[in-house]
Amino acid sequence: MRDEKPGDLVFPGGSEMARRMRAHPWSDSAMGSPQDWPASLGTAVRICLTSRFPMIVWWGPRLRFLYNDAYLPLLGTNHPALGKPGEEVWAEIWHIIGPMLESVMTSGEATWSEDLMLPMSRHGYWEETYWTYSYSPLQDDEGTVRGVFTAVSDTTERVVGERRLGVLQDLGAQAGRARSVAEACRLVADVLGAEDVPFIAIYLRKPGTDELALAALGPRETDPLTVAHGPHGWPVDEVLRTGEPITVTDVADRFPPLPSGGWQTTPTSAVVLPLSGETGGQTIGVVVLAVSVRRALDEAYRSFLTLVARQTADLVNAAIAYEAQQRRAEELAELDRAKTLFFSNVSHEFRTPLTLIMGPLQELRGVLADADERVREELDVMYRNGLRLGKLVNTLLDFSRIEAGRMRARYEPVDLSAVTAELASVFRSAVEKAGLAFEVDCPPLGEPVHIDRGMWEKVILNLLSNAVKFTFDGSVRVSVARDGEHAVVTVADTGIGVAENELPRLFERFHRIHSARSRSNEGSGIGLALVRELVGLHGGTITASSTAGEGTSFAIRLPLGVEHLPAEDVVPAGAQDAVFASADPYVQEALRWLPDGERDDSDDLAGSVVVGGAVPASALGPSKPARVLVADDNADMLQYLTRLLRSGGYQVTAVVDGQEALEQVRANAPDLVVSDVMMPRLDGLSLVTALRAESRTAGVPVLLLSARAGQEASIEGLAAGADDYLVKPFAAADLLARVRANVELSRLRNHHAQWRTALVDSLQEAFFVCDEEGAVIEINTAFTDILGFGPEDLPYRPVHPWWPDQETDPEAYRLTSAAFSQIATEAKGSYIAPVEHRDGHRLWAAASFSWVEDPDSGRRVVVGTFRDVTAEHYAVQRETALAALSLRVSEAESLTDALRSTLALLRELWRADRVLAVTLGDSEQPEVLSTGPEDRWERLPRPLRDAIGALRDEPLLTVAVREAGSAGITLEHPRGLLAVWIDLGENRPFSAEDQTLLALLAGRLGQGLHRAHQIDQQRETALALQRAILGPSHLPDGFAVRYEPATRPLGVGGDWYDTVELPDGRIGIVVGDCVGRGLKAATVMGQLRSACRALLLQDTGPANTLVALDRFAARLSGAICTTVFCGVLDPETGHLVYASAGHPPGIVTRADGTTLLLQEGRSLPLAVQPSAERGQAEYALPPRATLLLYTDGLIERRRRSLTVGMDQAAAVVQEGRAIPVDELATHIMTRLAPAAGFDDDVALLLYRNPAPLQVTFPAESGGLAPVRATLRRWLERAGLGTRQVQDVLVAAGEACANAIEHGYRQATGTVVLRAAATADDLRVTVTDTGAWKLPDPAANPHRGRGITLMRALMDQVTVESNTVGTTVDMHARIPA
Amino acid sequence: MTTPLTLSTSRREDGSPVLTVTGEIDMNNADTFTEALTSASEEPLVLDLTGVDYLDSAGLTVLFVNAERIRLLVATPLLGPVLKISGLTELVTTDGIS
Repeated sequence: MRDEKPGDLVFPGGSEMARRMRAHPWSDSAMGSPQDWPASLGTAVRICLTSRFPMIVWWGPRLRFLYNDAYLPLLGTNHPALGKPGEEVWAEIWHIIGPMLESVMTSGEATWSEDLMLPMSRHGYWEETYWTYSYSPLQDDEGTVRGVFTAVSDTTERVVGERRLGVLQDLGAQAGRARSVAEACRLVADVLGAEDVPFIAIYLRKPGTDELALAALGPRETDPLTVAHGPHGWPVDEVLRTGEPITVTDVADRFPPLPSGGWQTTPTSAVVLPLSGETGGQTIGVVVLAVSVRRALDEAYRSFLTLVARQTADLVNAAIAYEAQQRRAEELAELDRAKTLFFSNVSHEFRTPLTLIMGPLQELRGVLADADERVREELDVMYRNGLRLGKLVNTLLDFSRIEAGRMRARYEPVDLSAVTAELASVFRSAVEKAGLAFEVDCPPLGEPVHIDRGMWEKVILNLLSNAVKFTFDGSVRVSVARDGEHAVVTVADTGIGVAENELPRLFERFHRIHSARSRSNEGSGIGLALVRELVGLHGGTITASSTAGEGTSFAIRLPLGVEHLPAEDVVPAGAQDAVFASADPYVQEALRWLPDGERDDSDDLAGSVVVGGAVPASALGPSKPARVLVADDNADMLQYLTRLLRSGGYQVTAVVDGQEALEQVRANAPDLVVSDVMMPRLDGLSLVTALRAESRTAGVPVLLLSARAGQEASIEGLAAGADDYLVKPFAAADLLARVRANVELSRLRNHHAQWRTALVDSLQEAFFVCDEEGAVIEINTAFTDILGFGPEDLPYRPVHPWWPDQETDPEAYRLTSAAFSQIATEAKGSYIAPVEHRDGHRLWAAASFSWVEDPDSGRRVVVGTFRDVTAEHYAVQRETALAALSLRVSEAESLTDALRSTLALLRELWRADRVLAVTLGDSEQPEVLSTGPEDRWERLPRPLRDAIGALRDEPLLTVAVREAGSAGITLEHPRGLLAVWIDLGENRPFSAEDQTLLALLAGRLGQGLHRAHQIDQQRETALALQRAILGPSHLPDGFAVRYEPATRPLGVGGDWYDTVELPDGRIGIVVGDCVGRGLKAATVMGQLRSACRALLLQDTGPANTLVALDRFAARLSGAICTTVFCGVLDPETGHLVYASAGHPPGIVTRADGTTLLLQEGRSLPLAVQPSAERGQAEYALPPRATLLLYTDGLIERRRRSLTVGMDQAAAVVQEGRAIPVDELATHIMTRLAPAAGFDDDVALLLYRNPAPLQVTFPAESGGLAPVRATLRRWLERAGLGTRQVQDVLVAAGEACANAIEHGYRQATGTVVLRAAATADDLRVTVTDTGAWKLPDPAANPHRGRGITLMRALMDQVTVESNTVGTTVDMHARIPA
Repeated sequence: MTTPLTLSTSRREDGSPVLTVTGEIDMNNADTFTEALTSASEEPLVLDLTGVDYLDSAGLTVLFVNAERIRLLVATPLLGPVLKISGLTELVTTDGIS
């Protein structure tokens, strides 16, 4: 190429323009014959014709126009224009470029313009175009400027593309900001309304309709007439209906002028696009995007507008999802808070004062029995209303127990008909007094039914009370019947009935049916709800049927047998604690509704009739009958004593031995125990001893009966602690007298103690007394309520049965054990510790204790109280967990990262075996993320897959608990539905608190994932943008480059690298770093990069390039202080000329591992002192040396000197000098990246000298010698010794000869020789496209000689042959 | 294009025939080299390869086939490895290669 014949010199090559120039009648033109042209013009034309860049030569006073093939597309229909004056060719832009050309002609100084916007009509419309022009003066042989040389590039696509990417990125950056749909639309409209979308209108569908409403308009100040829709406005309704975009081309006819977005004419067309809903959902709205007339509505523009619509839809959808999730999470939390607050208030605030009102009130009623009638009536009013309030509070407490799983049922087989009939009989007087017929039809069922008596009583009493309340004529009917495997209990009335539309809400809590008429307006609306809960606990169902005006019928169905009940709650017949009639409040209430409002005391007594054989409750006042416990093993005696004492007005409990008596007393102390001395299991004397041994029972008086007469026996009994002694046979009157005396004595004696017990029992806080050994010897009712352990098993010795299990929960055990040892060592204190309810569920108790001296025994005991703080504990835990989740999700770098750290958090929280997150997208294969080893859907056990799959059918954010030990929940995930599955491992229950917490966490996670997803997308957009600007991936041989954005915050920055191939084969190298981050820095970077490219092409050397770049940077906002390393490398020699504008020095690593910094040629960063001179330096890269250029993000770390970073980078290159440069680039980026990723962006450029060689030649023997010559020159540049050069030449020559000889005996093809060197290794490969024949020494003894030579001369030779060809791969070590 | 090769025959002062080769020998010109070697003289000759800076297996094969025609082979150390590795030095008397 360098020695062409003189004739082709001016117009070389076969291009169209070369042909035209050769054919042009120059001699007849103003420019004259080319033979007479100045040499500089000839050179310029020659460069122009052989260049692949668009170039123009303007010559002479009229700037006649010569151009090359690459310029043709830019010229459009103005071609051909060869030799025409510039003014004629570019008439439409001459006012802009004319003066620039003139200035070059007159001043003789080069100039250029970057991304010059020229409105141009080259395709039939006025379009916006961008050009980068460099103008260099062309002198004639005398040195006079006579023309201008211009290298041009059309940057329209890039500039417009960057601008559109910028718009999309700005839109993407709005992700996660909007807290409402309206705000999302506003944000979108504010971002748009500029160049590429001069006008935008967003219409959203009104929820549940097909109507659209304008949601936002951009720019904001646009004429309201432009948003009309309907027949003469935007076809938005049609787009909403069809879901297909419509292009409107008669915008100018339909509307007032739309905003032009800065262009001289207003839009004539617009695209109306649907806004699609979340995957598969309904179209949520429509967006109108005006098309700027600056660009044709081509495919790129359309896809940009589609992307804008999609981003808009994403933002709006995100806002919709945010609103929905926010609402749900708030609702859940609110409901939970309200509930917890309400029930704890009720329990704490109501019961204690009620007890303290009712006790004294009852006493007053006794004392004032003979007082003035008015006083008695008022006391009765107070008493009745107290009972009502107590009933209401008890019902609410029942609810709170059921909710907390603390309701302890004991299912006992009973004759359901008898029990129900007895309950009904309690109501008989009230029903009859109301003038209603009362039908009770309860024939025996023939099989017992398992019920909890206390609960059943509430069920029946509630239903009856309800019936009386709403029935004015006719009857109330109670019946029991059997229906297959169920018992059916019906309570029916002929009352006012319930309207059909109210029926479904009948059992709803706090829902009161509005009725036309009832006996009372009182009612809390929770009676029926409680009934349903209680029936549900029995495994039964309750239904109601009703006709307004005719009556209501409730039917309860209870299963027979015990399979439906928890086995541990089933007890044998009669084993249940005595149940005390709670009927009184119900009956009292019902009686108050009746017209006369009267009741007498006999009714009152009838109302407290015993149910199921239990005895009436003892109460505080003397008006209450005394309770006597009788123990005798002789059935006749027992019966006699019972009858006798009942006739005397006592409430009697009969037991058959001392042991049973002891248990009864412990559970519920009577006023007196009458016991035989001789009994099985535990005799009378031992019973007395046992009772006296416990403080709780020590005060119960005991009357012993014995057949043994004599002083001795009597002393023995009294010595044991009995209060009195009676010898059989005895007179009935004597017994009654002694019983009365003992009861009265004990009442006097125990008055104080009873008050204490009543008070202690009325405490809502649990109360306990511990002896010095730590054994719990006394507890109250609340203690049993909270922990499930009753007084019957006292004392409880340590380790107490409510301690958490040491095996399954060592941490909780440790806490409790530490708290307990605090009791032993401190005089008083308080602590919070986990405890376990008898049924196994976890509670948190806040206890306080103090040591006191028992005045009776003189022993030191611990008195303590504790409160169930489970709700508070979980509330705190919940807030902590939510905060932890928010933090983790906000720190996550990506969606997967966010999910992974959330799973770890859930696992810690629940101490779970494993936690899984499964994305149930549209695909067959759900994605699995697990804290365990499972990572693939198909590796999960089948039952687990089924269970997780079944979550699809559950509502979002609702916890599904199918079996103990696991729970699942679903939430929205950007790629579909996300199921979170928690496996507790053991059969720990997933409690109501756990469910609330999981639902709240899932709600928060949903929002977090949405945000993380948007960060992912923004990051991708940012990277795409940066890489788009950094441009085509074509790199000259021997180079490797990398760009990595900063990890946090989002990555785009101002770093860049560039290589520019100069016409003479040298290569311009640039690495630069603009100050700042974000789109602005990227834009400045893009401009500087283009400018630097153009300047390098002028070939004025690195220093001058930087000086010229200074002038440009000084005018470019944001470019000041940019650092640049600029060099020009001759790849033939490794000679590098370079200059650095404040940039960190390049690092050269020689083949022997020594390193050198390129620190000369340094000057200030760009635009700091625009007029200053800059120096440059030269350096010859030694053979196999590696050059590393970079930006400071690679080496700069907080609190570390730059030198340390450079040393580290040099060390990494040093250790990698034996690997190919591309691998080395990856190696450097990996090794130098901090654990959390780069916190500044990084650009990196590597070059190893010499660049790898690649020669392709025809498979003919004539080609061998030139290839060898080329390889020899390259090997010398790679610094190999003469002998090794010869060895490699022969080995490579053999491989080439073989390729020719073997590979292409039939046809001719090409052979490719490649050579590359690292610091200590040379690699040569020869590739052909034929099949090698392995040498057959027998056929031809000389055949094998070539391969023998190759193996002998090189260190490693491999031959790989397959159907497409053969490759010989050879390595030789290069000695240091 | 062909591989550069110049062949000339002469006689030493003692009258023994000499074939002097300069350039490179590969498969492209091995036939020419054979032709020159076989036609240069009836009697064994001195083969002067001091001007050859490349010789591959194609050239070696010519030397092996015509070994009995070569009385003495003179070359520079540059060709030494190839001649030794191939085993030619055991068949033909050489000079100047080590």
